[in-house]
Amino acid sequence: MVAETTVYFIMAISSLISVVATYLAIVEKDLVKAVIYSAIQSAMYALLYYLLMAPDIVLVYLPVAVGLIPGVLLVLIGKTERWEKDAKSG
Amino acid sequence: MQRAVEVIVIMSLVLAIALLLLLASEYLLPGESVRLLASFYLYTTYNPSLPNYTVNSPEAVTAIVWDYRGLDTLFETAVFYLALIAGLALARRLYEEGLREDVDLSKSGLSLIVKTVTRLTSPMIIAVGASIALHGHLTPGGGFQGGATIAVAPMILIVVFSTLFLIKHGVTSDRMLVIRSLGLIGIGLTAILALLMGLVIGKFAYVFQNMPKLNSPIGVPATIGNILISGTLWFFNLFEMFAVAAGFVIAFIILMLVKGGEK
Repeated sequence: MVAETTVYFIMAISSLISVVATYLAIVEKDLVKAVIYSAIQSAMYALLYYLLMAPDIVLVYLPVAVGLIPGVLLVLIGKTERWEKDAKSG
Repeated sequence: MQRAVEVIVIMSLVLAIALLLLLASEYLLPGESVRLLASFYLYTTYNPSLPNYTVNSPEAVTAIVWDYRGLDTLFETAVFYLALIAGLALARRLYEEGLREDVDLSKSGLSLIVKTVTRLTSPMIIAVGASIALHGHLTPGGGFQGGATIAVAPMILIVVFSTLFLIKHGVTSDRMLVIRSLGLIGIGLTAILALLMGLVIGKFAYVFQNMPKLNSPIGVPATIGNILISGTLWFFNLFEMFAVAAGFVIAFIILMLVKGGEK
């Protein structure tokens, strides 16, 4: 019973952290930081999938969402611009 | 300050929806009837006493992905390949231009420490990816997971060294395209393996057949020697691993070679 409650508690905490990370990834103007926030959100999701007993999804999610997509996005940011323009001035 | 307020508002909205769902789940829960399909899969996925229904794979997810619902996965692979062809067609001119630039390899990339660590870890990443894919019918994982894990290694090599480093060591996008195509041909042939065997022997068999079925006694053998390979599942995982890893590497090489705007 205690073990089950602990698992549910960790799941609740990690999903709330993922909500915050998603919000920060959207509002952040520094795109490099936004990619890192997005990777944090993905890591939290991977933890959730693991606790929900879906190891197959974890094995897809970790390399793709924490490894490949942030890597590609960082290189693309390096080729374009690091700072997001203001909607009004831009 | 404004951000903190917004975070609190969003968090309380999420918590409110969670509370609503919790209250609703007291009254609305799907009944036992929806679990019959799941129990059928779990009962038959590795059950040698039911030779006409079993897949002989202890991993139910891989059995569903490549056997029970194999056609879905085949079309998924086709979609991935079509997206890759579109990317190749769009970036063709840019790719040719990008190849011409001459870079001194010893000066490009990150520091010596990072390079040495990368040299040590990238074979390990590839080994882990291969083990995920080749044990896909026994443990969680499979072809796509293994291929995506393997693709992380060239990605890191590109960031730490350079794209030219990969190309000079023989990882060109043309070669990756060949590997990718061989993987897809392998997947296609594995899908009609039982059918071909049936044509040779002269018995009825299905496309995408794995184990013997009631009216077609032909099946791909579940074991080689004493090693369980679950018929077609092992071959599907192997070819899918090559196809996915090579596909991702092509996408990286093209993306990295496309030049940014002159600034």
